[in-house]
Amino acid sequence: MRGFGLFLLGAIVALGQQRNFVSCPIVRDTKTVPCFLAEYEGETYYLGIQQDITSDFHPPQLKHEVLVEGRVAPGPRVCGGIPLQPVSISVLKEVNLACSTLLPAEPGLDAPPAPRGPGPSSRRPEGGSEARSAPREPLTGQQEFTVLYSFNDDYLEYGGNQVVTEAAAYAKRIGASNVKVSGYRATSVLSNGDRLIEKAGLAEKRVQNIATLLRGLGLSSLTVESKKEAEPGDGQTDPSRRRVTIVVTP
Amino acid sequence: MRRLFLLVFLSIGSVLLLSAQYQDRFKITWIEPGSGATLPEFDAFDSTDGTIGVLNASGPINTEGHPFFTALGTNGRACVNCHQPTYGMSVSTSGLIERWRTTDGKDPVFAGFDGSNCPGLPQEKENSHSLLLRRGLFRIPLSWPPKNADGSPKPVEFTIEVVRDPTGCNTSPQYGLKSADPTISVYRRPRPVANLKYVLSGGRSIVLKTGMLADVDPETGNPVSMNLMTDAREPSLKTQAVSAIMGHEQAQVAPSSPQIQKIVEYESQVYVAQQAHIFGGPLAEAGGPPGLGVAALRDHRAGVLGDNESDPVFGLFSAWKGNDYYRASVARGADIFMFRQFWLRDAAHINSIGLGNPLKRTCATCHNAQMTGQDLSAGWVDVGTTNYPTWTEPSAESSELPVFKITCNRDADPHPYLGRVIYTTDPGRALISGRCVDVGSIVMQQLRGLAARAPYFANGSAKTLREVVDFYDRRFDMKLADQEKEDLINFLGAL
Repeated sequence: MRGFGLFLLGAIVALGQQRNFVSCPIVRDTKTVPCFLAEYEGETYYLGIQQDITSDFHPPQLKHEVLVEGRVAPGPRVCGGIPLQPVSISVLKEVNLACSTLLPAEPGLDAPPAPRGPGPSSRRPEGGSEARSAPREPLTGQQEFTVLYSFNDDYLEYGGNQVVTEAAAYAKRIGASNVKVSGYRATSVLSNGDRLIEKAGLAEKRVQNIATLLRGLGLSSLTVESKKEAEPGDGQTDPSRRRVTIVVTP
Repeated sequence: MRRLFLLVFLSIGSVLLLSAQYQDRFKITWIEPGSGATLPEFDAFDSTDGTIGVLNASGPINTEGHPFFTALGTNGRACVNCHQPTYGMSVSTSGLIERWRTTDGKDPVFAGFDGSNCPGLPQEKENSHSLLLRRGLFRIPLSWPPKNADGSPKPVEFTIEVVRDPTGCNTSPQYGLKSADPTISVYRRPRPVANLKYVLSGGRSIVLKTGMLADVDPETGNPVSMNLMTDAREPSLKTQAVSAIMGHEQAQVAPSSPQIQKIVEYESQVYVAQQAHIFGGPLAEAGGPPGLGVAALRDHRAGVLGDNESDPVFGLFSAWKGNDYYRASVARGADIFMFRQFWLRDAAHINSIGLGNPLKRTCATCHNAQMTGQDLSAGWVDVGTTNYPTWTEPSAESSELPVFKITCNRDADPHPYLGRVIYTTDPGRALISGRCVDVGSIVMQQLRGLAARAPYFANGSAKTLREVVDFYDRRFDMKLADQEKEDLINFLGAL
């Protein structure tokens, strides 16, 4: 009973705390879709379930370490792990064969309901980014669009693809006088105090990629800039600084 | 015992009956360039366990002077040499072997430039054409480094070394990587020129898998599907036709616009699918599975993602879930294709694009486009056929194919599951993109008319559909039971 009390106390203290760490992900099979977990300082954290490419959560990958940046969320354990929400997942690029843990399904360890079945589906998963962004007032005036990236990565994920497409469409619709594209790289502060800095040149690479896409989507006049130095980290909002911004001015 | 005897007797009887029924109507023919034949609106040919249907949706085709059926280059070849209606608009090894015997190796399909292992080999020897005769592979010479449209070299993220060269072409001073015109020779199957409205559909401005701009059709400026060819190097049927005539046909003068237009018109209206099975009879029938047969391909809308619950990739097979052994097997195979989950792991451009590794899904996760089972997104994937250790070759030492060592630059993203040093028999898309993450990625093929055009995979390594299924079973540890394998094979063979 005393142990349970300490556990409860620990859980309350941990609630709302940030957990930023690098570790191997763990895949837990269930009766439905797999759960993705990660361990840090002897504790298991729940990151999310297998979903769709249109989802906001993109799971980690075995054979790779993952940078987890998340906040301890209220509620019971999920798939045996303390849920982190919101959580940012960055798959580190180099192959690490030690990251290979795939656990079998166990009674009592269930995944949250999955929005889609095992094959392809033309239906958008409920709550996906497209579903949320559909009914919206038409944009007016100066607008800033932000493309977010995983750590040390310039790969444009599905969500970023949508942002770029939307920015280009808006700029064309209003006949923008100026489209300014700015690239950044950032620092991630881990819970153990270590600092991870994104590689030099990444801001330039990110911004050039986005500029190429915008030109390909029909925008001819762009102002392109990148910040050479990495943005400082605070251990709380670091994922939001790995970005390219597109400011569209009427 | 009497019942068993009766069953065997009836089975043999129905086989003979079907064979007799098909004997006059269905045949195997090889169309030679300039033959001047007229192709009917619908034709059917023997294929493994049945017949393949070929539909010319625009009506009968007069091949007299038609540029698809006329040699436009210097080696006597026409498009039809490698895209024969008899073989599902591709060509099979059985057809090639027969052709070698019939012509004593003189048919233009065996032209030394790419119908042999290397042009420098003695062309009269059968062994110089071993990859074509044994695996249906043509030599594809590609410049290294790859070039932009203006001829300038593309930036590349890796170095490439030849570590085994059984054909001698990659180390040849004349044709190889260190020749005056540095070239990598890879060996690939010709893809079927049929059902192309599906292959060409789905072009989007930004490629989902790479986050980069899609190639555009140079004529229209519109983004293209990038599902054409093994490495998506040609954006349109027009550019592909010109490239094939200048390359495979060794033309010295570019084809005219009307010639190209006529080739594209022909290619755009021809449909191929399995039409009948020796035990199952006609596959396309009222009330049967709606996706079977050539007419279904002609009539269906292209660019539709399969819906696993209501409108699967090849339609519903529920009408066949009865007592007929063959049909019930096909229906079970369709269910395995759609719903049998397994751990899909370490497949670049599937697991690596935000879906997670591993992924508990099905065949139809990747083979998701209705009617053909290609990927609706630009579909190059490293499923593991060409890269060590999952490659289809028994070992590097005994590989019939060349083996290359790829070393990724330090500042490039490595291959997501193989790292920075990769051994491969075909770098695939990477020979065009110059990117390390693309090493071994091959554009997914359509799954129609399979029974007429063995062997399978881009490298011709699977002689039968059984070997295809066995590869996936091994690669993804699917643990398929023998009955499940048979069902999958019957299903694939019915497409």
